[in-house]
Amino acid sequence: MDHLQLAAHTFSSRLILGTGKFSSAAVMLEAVKASGAQLVTVALRRFNREQLEDDLFGPLSELPGITLMPNTSGASTAAEAIKAANISRELSGSPFIKVEIHPNPQHLMPDPIETMEAARVLASEGFLVMPYISPDPVLAKRLEEVGCASVMPLGSAIGSGQGLASAAMLSIIIRESSIPVIVDAGLRAPSEAARAMEMGCSAVLVNSAIAASDNPAEMAAAFRDSTDAGRRAFKAGLMRESREAVATSPLTSFLGEQS
Amino acid sequence: MTILPDWLTDNNDCRELKAMLRNRSPESLETMAARSRAMTLRRFGRTMPLYAPLYLSNYCSSGCAYCGFASDRTTPRRKLDEEEIRREIAAMKQLGIQDILLLTGERTAAVGFEYLKRAVDIAAESMQRVTVEAFPMSVEEYRELAGSGCTGITIYQETYDLLQYEALHRWGPKKDYLYRLATPERALEGGIKTIGLGVLFGLSDPVTDALMLYRHARHLEKTYWRGGISISFPRLRPQTGGYEPTYPVDDHLLARIILAFRIAMPDVELVLSTREKPSFRDGMAGLAITRMSIASRTTVGGYLEGESSGEGQFEISDSRTAEEFCQALRSRRIEPVFKNWEPAYNGPSRNTLPCS
Amino acid sequence: MKKRPKEIVQKPLKMITIQLNGESESLPEDSTIIDLLTRIGSDGKTVATLVNDQVVRPPERTAHALCEGDRVEILVFAGGG
Repeated sequence: MDHLQLAAHTFSSRLILGTGKFSSAAVMLEAVKASGAQLVTVALRRFNREQLEDDLFGPLSELPGITLMPNTSGASTAAEAIKAANISRELSGSPFIKVEIHPNPQHLMPDPIETMEAARVLASEGFLVMPYISPDPVLAKRLEEVGCASVMPLGSAIGSGQGLASAAMLSIIIRESSIPVIVDAGLRAPSEAARAMEMGCSAVLVNSAIAASDNPAEMAAAFRDSTDAGRRAFKAGLMRESREAVATSPLTSFLGEQS
Repeated sequence: MTILPDWLTDNNDCRELKAMLRNRSPESLETMAARSRAMTLRRFGRTMPLYAPLYLSNYCSSGCAYCGFASDRTTPRRKLDEEEIRREIAAMKQLGIQDILLLTGERTAAVGFEYLKRAVDIAAESMQRVTVEAFPMSVEEYRELAGSGCTGITIYQETYDLLQYEALHRWGPKKDYLYRLATPERALEGGIKTIGLGVLFGLSDPVTDALMLYRHARHLEKTYWRGGISISFPRLRPQTGGYEPTYPVDDHLLARIILAFRIAMPDVELVLSTREKPSFRDGMAGLAITRMSIASRTTVGGYLEGESSGEGQFEISDSRTAEEFCQALRSRRIEPVFKNWEPAYNGPSRNTLPCS
Repeated sequence: MKKRPKEIVQKPLKMITIQLNGESESLPEDSTIIDLLTRIGSDGKTVATLVNDQVVRPPERTAHALCEGDRVEILVFAGGG
């Protein structure tokens, strides 16, 4: 069966959901259900007694088949991310941690140096590290080297909806990687999730596109279908694009007649 | 029982390559040539780095059925001493050569690691680039070789067909298929910067061998990702000893294999030696090949004026002089390049942990 | 003779001030983390508790008494990509 394999964990869904920016926890939960996602990422935040419904742990635990993947958003250094990871593992019991370190609050681009350090330490402590990175093929291999369970290159900046702006780089990362490549951030439309899967990604992570939709549950279902479609197409083998240059005179005449 | 690694037997990556290799129509070959040419031009430009081989010795302890230097052949054995190595290298430099490939047979008492290391030391004194095609070594030996200035190791698996491999390698250290297969990894681990892979086309089914060669290259690309990869395409030629290839590969098929590799591996260096005839070399130079040997001798030494040539490892089909070959390249708007490496960048590569 | 009823002397409730999630909070002295959680309306099951940067695990919360000036963080999993 064609399952997503992350270390020793197997998932039938290749769509991972983010839980931010939804209008309410109830809407978010409906979207999660409609998406078929089995991995859901959450952030560590301060308890707010005025807004008890912000606490998603309880409601998410009640959904069958969900594994939490806490993320370290809010951290701007490796030390902060490592601390958040340890607290998260303590609280959730999940070995997954999405290392997400973006010091600049405007463009939210990930810090490669802090991410390398956090990944190195957390992987050595037994976490299943899922690092969020710019689509840098060398950085991806270095993270693989230190023992990450996957790499998560961005399609484009968080919330930018610019889709697979980094397709050329993603292509290299996918070709070179021995661990799952999960495109995270910037996907705006289900067709983009399909395209990422057709390129050979192991999974996609979607948040803003679903949360910002007028009908998040419907959009989540659309992403579920397109992620599946893209994966099926990849497995079936896409027809090669035709890109032949036409030479003015035969290039192989030096070979003579074929015997 | 020899168990082949998963990466060698795994069927996944090769769909397009398989299709290209199996389709034998002349139309498809022309199409592949156009595509390969465009890709080669884009990625490698119009230059052709050139190198020459120096056989240091023809002593050998192995019994490969197809090789003129097998230990049961009556070929007179010779090895170059230090003085002779220096003279041969000086003669090669006179021809303009600055990139040298040092060759030996399998390890023997006469020619072992220390001898080879000394030869690398000597070659590195005056050559801009030194690579080696010799017996499989240990990680530590490769580390020492890298320290002496060797930046590349060429090691052909000859054939990935296990049964045929065992039948052909009748005795000697070369019998060990898996040890040879793991040689590129040991070299990269030891800090050697580039690996040259290849099969001897003709020993077994060429399409299967080509596919497994591709898998080997892909495996190395993903695990030793800082290393350079080059692929050569030696085709079994008549040699003194008379081994007839079981699966003869004609020009069309060899061209198809080379073009397919360029299309499937756009960034990998593809190498063609003087085993092949001038028209084939010239034709492929513009289409896919990005490194070639020049003015070669496959006898021990052989570059000195008036030297009587003994029997070479294989017959050379392109015996043009360096000047003639460069002219031929230039007439096809390809610039011959003798120095393509700055030895100041030498020193073992940091390959650190392989990714499993 | 009527016994004089015992005077029930209520000790004045001593309060301490801690930092809770970055803001000052007044608590009775000797409050434990469990007491604090009850006070803020959490059953403790879905929160992580840290005192002065150290995680205090659920089994330890009943015994862990808070002191003046302690920096307490109560964290939950909330929405975020």
